Amino acid sequence: MDEYKIVIKMFNNQKSKINDTIACLYISSKYHPPKNLIKHLGKKILNIKLLQIIQNTTPNFPMFTQAELTTYNGKNGNPAYIAINGVVYDVTNEATWAAATHFGLSAGKDLTNAFASCHAGQPILNKLKIVGKMADE
Amino acid sequence: MNKKTGNCPNFSMRQKTASVLVNKVIDKINKENLKKSNLIWLELTGCSGNIISLLDGADPNFKDLISQMVNFIYNNSLMAAEGEAAIRRLFSVADDDYILAVEGAVTTKDNGIYNIIGNWRGKPVTAYEAIKQLGEKASYVIAVGTCASDGGISAAKPNPAECVGIQSILNKKVIKLPGCPCNPDWFMGTLAYIMLCGEPELDDKARPLMFYSTLIHDICPRRPYFEKGIFASKLGEKTCMFKLGCRGPVTRVDCPITKWNHRVNWPIGDDSPCIGCAQFGFPDKMKPFISYNTTREESK
Repeated sequence: MDEYKIVIKMFNNQKSKINDTIACLYISSKYHPPKNLIKHLGKKILNIKLLQIIQNTTPNFPMFTQAELTTYNGKNGNPAYIAINGVVYDVTNEATWAAATHFGLSAGKDLTNAFASCHAGQPILNKLKIVGKMADE
Repeated sequence: MNKKTGNCPNFSMRQKTASVLVNKVIDKINKENLKKSNLIWLELTGCSGNIISLLDGADPNFKDLISQMVNFIYNNSLMAAEGEAAIRRLFSVADDDYILAVEGAVTTKDNGIYNIIGNWRGKPVTAYEAIKQLGEKASYVIAVGTCASDGGISAAKPNPAECVGIQSILNKKVIKLPGCPCNPDWFMGTLAYIMLCGEPELDDKARPLMFYSTLIHDICPRRPYFEKGIFASKLGEKTCMFKLGCRGPVTRVDCPITKWNHRVNWPIGDDSPCIGCAQFGFPDKMKPFISYNTTREESK
């Protein structure tokens, strides 16, 4: 099944929980974003903000290695970035990430597992600025 | 700032929440429409900080509580009795109706042997035994402070005595009032509500919504500085302490309104970041409490 059809099917099943997944599938895709995805989502999606994110997203995000990500730890004037499901987000000015730390976690790391254990199903990634993708290593 | 917030009905009404409830209880008791409740205050593995905080309450104050609201059966720090006589009093209401307030976590290692709260009939009584026995029979159990609610400082790493919050060992609902220490308003307001109406409306972590519904960040008088990206770089500056590690954005309680020490001040009002003492996971998950080498530049 084509990638966009999977997304649409998931979206129809669980509209309220799927926003983050759509963004992650789309952003982390290795392929050029299928034009049909936006066409289909444009008809069905209710979350205007997410739609804007997808429409404004280009496939040419900077790629981060694990080593590069560690330098964005929010210390000594560096921005604070975290990676979740292959997407790199900026939490430098996110209120819940004071001093680049959050419930014992630190910026500059891949926090996919921690996110899944605490925030699964919560559409909270939409408000974060996307700054890149994680490179395959 | 204080003048502005003083005119806000949200602030002024919230400051009266506890006193309105307590006065209603006292009024009903005086009119014989309500009986005084038996109250046991059990201290487990803690620092006595919550009972000291309670003594500092104002409008309502501790005198109202002890003289007009409840039959204060037991508290190890305040009662005149000592030794077995005190423990006898503790267990004297075991078959009656009583409300149990608990401060401090429960040490569980080696069957709780590392916290003995007294002797009864020649045998040591562990905190673990006391909370199990008294907690299951109580009409309501209130965890007062962060240690009783979630383990808190007593359960911080490496947690050698294997401390846990009291909910972990009780098979009944525990109403949780986290905070290090618990504000007198939060306890007395909750107790008064229970006496008037039963269990108050709670959130998904069993905290009363009347005190724990709002993030500190959302009612912080320094919030405008956050929105404008004006951040303090060291303690003592009067702006937003987000870059220093303030935990107000993840801590849900009405500290900025109730304040402390007869409503004189609160941590942020005294230029100290919130350290998230009323948040579950404190202190380990709220660290570091202060950071200086963070992002200085606005990246928005």
